[in-house]
Amino acid sequence: MSPEKKVVVKKLAYQVNDELADKIREVMKSKNKLFFNMMGSIGSGKTLILERLAAKLSSKYRVFVINGDVATTIDADRIAKQGATTVQINTGGGCHLSAKLIQNELDKINIDDYDIFIAENVGNLICPAAWDIGAQLNITVVSITEGEYVVKKHPIIFKSAEIAIINKCDLDGLGFNSDVLAEDAAKIKSGMKVILTSAKTGQGIDELITALGIEY
Amino acid sequence: MHEYSVASAIVDQVKAIIEEHKATQVKKIIVSASPYDVIIPELLIEAYGIITAELDKFKNSTLEMQISKAEISCLECDYKGEPAEEGDPEFAYNFICPKCESRDTHINMKNLTIETVDLVIPDN
Ligand SMILES: Nc1nc2c(ncn2[C@@H]2O[C@H](COP(=O)(O)OP(=O)(O)OP(=O)(O)O)[C@@H](O)[C@H]2O)c(=O)[nH]1
Ligand SMILES: [Mg+2]
Ligand SMILES: [Zn+2]
Repeated sequence: MSPEKKVVVKKLAYQVNDELADKIREVMKSKNKLFFNMMGSIGSGKTLILERLAAKLSSKYRVFVINGDVATTIDADRIAKQGATTVQINTGGGCHLSAKLIQNELDKINIDDYDIFIAENVGNLICPAAWDIGAQLNITVVSITEGEYVVKKHPIIFKSAEIAIINKCDLDGLGFNSDVLAEDAAKIKSGMKVILTSAKTGQGIDELITALGIEY
Repeated sequence: MHEYSVASAIVDQVKAIIEEHKATQVKKIIVSASPYDVIIPELLIEAYGIITAELDKFKNSTLEMQISKAEISCLECDYKGEPAEEGDPEFAYNFICPKCESRDTHINMKNLTIETVDLVIPDN
């Protein structure tokens, strides 16, 4: 019989991911690149907001968008039409992006060919919060059609964000209400920027660009 | 879903530990997580079973999850420690700081730790 040995490890399961995320952040910073992580619920309007951003920013900046989705390339194709370079990562059932998935895509390109990197995370208000992907700023998108309790039920995803977007505000007053969500978001994390947007009309997109620290 | 990626992160790290110790088998892995890590032990163990099914060195190994203490840090004062028993009545997964009563606290949801790994290591 071979001897057995108990090895004391005491390491976080997320450690490998987090180390790689730190590395991505460092590389981006040293190259003067911006990298944002857009999280949020399914159908909250992440892709339409990115289409708006791409349409505005592409004349001045080279934008690279990484779309995380369980399947299909629909979102990446939509954003590509607005002038950004896009790539779709199919997580194959996975509920979030990870540093490894981002690094895999960065390995396929020359980072110097782009100025702004944005990842659209998988639509999910729980899992992406635990997985650092190396972005400099985290954005959480919810929409007013999800009901007035969405922030109360999912504060965690807001705690890991620097910017909260309350989208679909064009429907404000039409049976939906942005006030409660904006108030709750402001209450749940002091210092978090809360932006009311309508990706449909373009409301709030300029404010978002400013909040991201992009000169435009 | 979440448990699956967490389980593969665990397996990847244990593979590296097996290499490091030149082990032939892993017998048992003990991990710990707080109640707020949103990890369901049964699902984690199931995912672990699926991921390791084809891995020789993980054959007949077991994964055990222990529950560790929850920890919050307060963003208004310097409190770091266990949250008060009752949560925030208004927000799910949120806690009031027991020291300064601020609700601007952050619960640590990334406590999942690989505690120990039992390995079979052949002589020389
Ligand atoms: N009225 C209104 N509809 C919107 C707005 N933003 C997005 N939508 C619509 O909401 C639906 C979902 O939008 P997407 O941009 O695909 O949302 P998403 O968050 O990327 O969705 P997933 O990637 O599938 O999670 C589409 O039908 C959009 O046209 C908005 O501001 N107002
Ligand atoms: Mg989308
Ligand atoms: Zn406090």
